[in-house]
This record gives sequence, structure tokens and C-alpha cells, in this order.
Amino acid sequence: MRRPVFGEAGIYWMLVMPALLMLVGFYLYPLVRVLWISVMEPTPGLGNYALLFTSASIQRVLMTTLRICVMTTAITLVLGYVVSYVMAQASERTQRWMMLGILLPLWISVLVRAFAWVTLLRRQGVINTGLMNMGLIDDPLPLIWNELGITIGMVHYMLPFAVLPLLTGMRGIDRRCLAAARGLGASRMQSFVRVFLPLSLPGVIGASILVFIFSLGFLVTPAILGGGRTLMIAEYISVQILDVVQWGVGTMLATTLIVFIFALLAMLARVVDMRRLFGAS
Amino acid sequence: MDRIQSFAEDQAEILNEEYRAGRLSRRQMLAGLGALGLAAMAPGAARAQARPEVVVVNFGGEAVPAFREAFQQPYVASGGRMVIDGSGPSNGKIKTMVQARNVTWDVADSGVAGTGELGPLGLLEEIDYSIVDKSKVDEAFAYKYGVANYMFSTVMAWDTKKVSATPTLADFFDIQKYPGRRMLRRSNQGMLELALLADGVPADQLYPLDMERAFKKLGTIKQHLLFWNSGAESQSLLRDGEVVMGLLWNTRANLLKRDGRIDYTFQQGLLQPGLWVVPKGNPAGKEAFRAIASMQAPEGQVKLLASMGNGPANPAAAALVPAELKAGNPSDPANIAAQAKISADWYEKHGAAALQRFLDFISA
Repeated sequence: MRRPVFGEAGIYWMLVMPALLMLVGFYLYPLVRVLWISVMEPTPGLGNYALLFTSASIQRVLMTTLRICVMTTAITLVLGYVVSYVMAQASERTQRWMMLGILLPLWISVLVRAFAWVTLLRRQGVINTGLMNMGLIDDPLPLIWNELGITIGMVHYMLPFAVLPLLTGMRGIDRRCLAAARGLGASRMQSFVRVFLPLSLPGVIGASILVFIFSLGFLVTPAILGGGRTLMIAEYISVQILDVVQWGVGTMLATTLIVFIFALLAMLARVVDMRRLFGAS
Repeated sequence: MDRIQSFAEDQAEILNEEYRAGRLSRRQMLAGLGALGLAAMAPGAARAQARPEVVVVNFGGEAVPAFREAFQQPYVASGGRMVIDGSGPSNGKIKTMVQARNVTWDVADSGVAGTGELGPLGLLEEIDYSIVDKSKVDEAFAYKYGVANYMFSTVMAWDTKKVSATPTLADFFDIQKYPGRRMLRRSNQGMLELALLADGVPADQLYPLDMERAFKKLGTIKQHLLFWNSGAESQSLLRDGEVVMGLLWNTRANLLKRDGRIDYTFQQGLLQPGLWVVPKGNPAGKEAFRAIASMQAPEGQVKLLASMGNGPANPAAAALVPAELKAGNPSDPANIAAQAKISADWYEKHGAAALQRFLDFISA
């Protein structure tokens, strides 16, 4: 029998090669270009990056983005946890229906969903008219055109992204641990706090990363539900690239965002097992 | 709507909606635009065959088949070749094309923010006025890097249920007199100008814009302001009673007025041009300017006013406008007299800075 020309490892490499080449060509190369432009336009140097420390408007946009994203992530996680917990306990049949309810909004365009929220939340919207007709309030509540409206819209969008990893994590929890805790005299509350909650934490962390990183890229929902008064980083970048054609500033912010996300992931990798988190082990 | 929408983008959307709402049959819409092309037959059908293909790019939707029938077919009949592309010529896309030396567009639907940002960077061809007829356009809107294609206005509209008399622009800033929210576009163009007009700056002395003064004026009503990104949004905010008064494009104001309750005025409005621009190194060369020249015919521009509310850029068209359309025509002589005119020169020097500052102002 002839020995294969390539060793065993070589064959595996060849199988991976097409995907790897595609990543390098269509992902890595454009990223490097973005980085390159950010230090070359309009003049070579780190002038664009200095703006991070000198430009009050960029700092404000970054702070707004951070504030909204942290808030969205926190609320989404709490709501998502409750939904996943209920789902994990429910019967197969109920679970299927609940899953449909969670996935359905994912298939509706983000624009449509934003405008649907406008219909619900505006002055003469369903909620305000309903409350006023019931005599509960005299003036419409300011539910929209502010950060409250933005947060409502974003949490709604993000919920499935929190529920899915949380649910996977919870399904993997061995029920016998809970039974054992109960058997050893723990109350329901104690067995949840001291056994279930710690075991579900990897899912919580995975879901937070996913939701937080996705939130950073939001621009449609804040632009519509915020009444145009809130500017987040994704939209700021888009204005720099498409409208005022200051690619140096736009790519600098994009690079900063990527570095920030990688740093975040690296930090988390020290705390949790990333391979397990994303199902690779 | 993932970003601040341009006027031309909104036009494509209106046409789409009108067609879908059944107020314009496809045949009517195409015929209306078709007449524009037929009337604009390029001279010299004899040049024939050898003429290169001209790619005209707009913002898509129903405007693509409309333009195809309007411009492409007559152009083919006269021996030229034309393609309509609806992929949306934003500044960023034009820059990408020119820098990659891979220009596929010849004529793009743009505006003063286009010539202002792209022209100085050397990304546009100069308009060849030996081919494009300068006498067929208002001198104020025939620029080095762009020439008027149609006219539109930024105007004030109000809810007649909450504002009884015809308000002035000063009333827009008077919350005591007419309580309620106000609406601005989420971009500086037109907004700074109208703020200054409201503050008493004469229309002919607007430029150079006194930005300090404009932002100070806007600051007086800041907590009462909402901002729209797209034309459709401006229409729904007024229609749904979310705002009492608003500054928006005349085309959207027209649609609101037709439904009743909302009224608007050209008084103290700002007249702005939609501009044809030619990306640097465009594939069809001079043929692009022959295409632009063919679209200057007044008859077609009047048809465009009837179907889309676009004001004719050719002053000679005013006489051909039917009486019932005069009131809504932004470039009607009476309406021109009531408005200030935008200065592309100012936008070339300060447009980007003004947009930055405006976005800072609204998000602070």
C-alpha cells in the first residue's frame, strides 16, 4: 500500500483550506484595509485615534452607546432568564409553542418591528389611548422618542438571542442535582440559588456577550424610537463613511469597536471556558 | 432608512407608494415619465451605433422602470444606449468606485451635499457646459461639478386643528403661541437656514450661514423637537398628530395637504436643487453630458411635476405648468420669490462640519 502524499494532518488542513482562504480573502483582508485607512486618511499617523480623547462628540456617542447597550443587556438577560427557566420546566409540546413564539419575531424585519412599536407607544398609540379611555391617565405617557422607547425596542429584538443560549445551558443541567439538594433539606429557593443558578451561569455569560455585542451595532431602532435624538456609534460610523466621506474617522471608530469587542472576549475567556460556551467541547 | 435619507431616495419611495395606493397606474406613471424622454430626444440620431452606453443611477424602486421607459427607450430610438441602475449613489459609494478605478456609473442623482463633499476631493467630472445648456437652468443651480436636475423645497407645514391661522416661521419657534412638539429633519440642510430666516435674517443675506446664531435659535425649542430620518417618517409624524408643526420636503407636505388637516407654505422656505453629477473617469465619457442635456427639455420636467411633485429645473417650463399644479410647484416664479435659495458654495466649504455639529446638537 502506498503512503498518502500528505500526512494525516495535511489532509485535514486541505479540508479546512477553502473555508480558511475565504475567511482570509473576504474577512481578514477587508478588516486590515479598514485598519489601514484609519491610520492613513487624511494624513498618515494616529490623528484619528487622538479624536477618541479630544472629541467631545465622539466621547458622547460612545458613552450613549455603552449606556444603552448595558441597560439593554441587563433587562434582556433578566427577562430571557425567566422565559428560559419556564421553558426548561415545560412539557415538550408547550416548549415547541414557546419556541415558535420566540423565533417568530426573528423573521420580521427590524424596521417593521420598530414601526410597530411606534404604533403601540406613540401619543395616540394603542397603549396611551387604552389607558386614557380607561381613565387611568389624563395625559399620554412619554413612552417613545426617548431612551425608554429605544430600550423597549432593543430588548424586544434581543430576547431570542438571550433565550437560545440560556435554554441550551439550562437543558444541560442535571435535574438529579436539584433533587439531591431537595433531598438534603434545601428549600426550593435554596436549591435554585445554590445549585441551579450557578450551573446556569455559563449560559448567562454566553447570552450577555451575544446580546451586548449585537446591541453595539444597532442603528435602525435607536434612530426611529429615539425620535432622532439619540446617536449611537453604528450610525455615527455610517454617517462618516456614506455622507461626510471622512473615512479616516469612520474606520477608526470601526477599528476601536472591533478591538473593544475582542478585548471583551479575551477578558471573558479568562473567566469562562469559551470552547464550552459555544459548544465546541 | 438605516441612515439619513436623501431627497432623491425619498422620491423613489413616493412614486412607489402612489403606484401601490392606486393613485397612479403603472401605465400612467410610465407614460408620464415616458413623455419626458420622448420630449427630450437627443439631437443627432445620426451619430448612431458608436455611441457608448450611459449608466444613469438613481435610488431604485418604481423609479427604475419609470426611468427606463422615460429615458432609455427614447435614447435608444435616437441611437444612444442607456441603462438605469437603482442601487443608490451615496457619496461613500461614489468615492469607493472612483478610488478603486472601477467606475460603472455615468450620471448620478445627487445634491449639494454630493457636489460639496465629492467635488473638492476630485471625485467628480466638471460639467461640460458646451454640451449641457446653461440657459436651460437657473444660473444659481448650474455648478462646476453638478447641474440642476429638478427642484425641491424645505417648507413649514402645520396641523390646522391645532394652529388656526397661517403661522409664520417665527411662530414655529414660539411654543407659548402654539404649544406642542415641532419636527425637524435629522440633517442640517435647510434646518439651519430656516432657523436663521425665523430669527430675522433676510433671505438674500443668509450665506455665509451664522452657525452660532442658528444653533442658538434651535436651542430655544430643543426640548420640543423630534427629528425625522426619512420622508415617510416626516409624513407620519404630522399625520399621526405627534407634532404640531414641522419642517419637511414640499413633496411630502403636498401629500399631507391632499389628505386634508395639514397645510404648508412656500413662504420663507428654502429652494434646493437635485443635481446630476458625473463620477470621475465615468465609462461613457462625454456621452454622459449628452444624456444630461436630453433631460433638460421643459415638457418632460412638467410631467415629472405632475407625477412626483418635482419642480422643473428649466425656467422655461414654468409657462407650461397647468394652473392646478402651479401652487404646489417649488420652482413656480411666485414660489421662488417667496423662498431663499441654497448656496452650494457654502456647503462645499462647511457642509460636513455643519452636519457634524447638527448631529452633536441633537444628541447632546
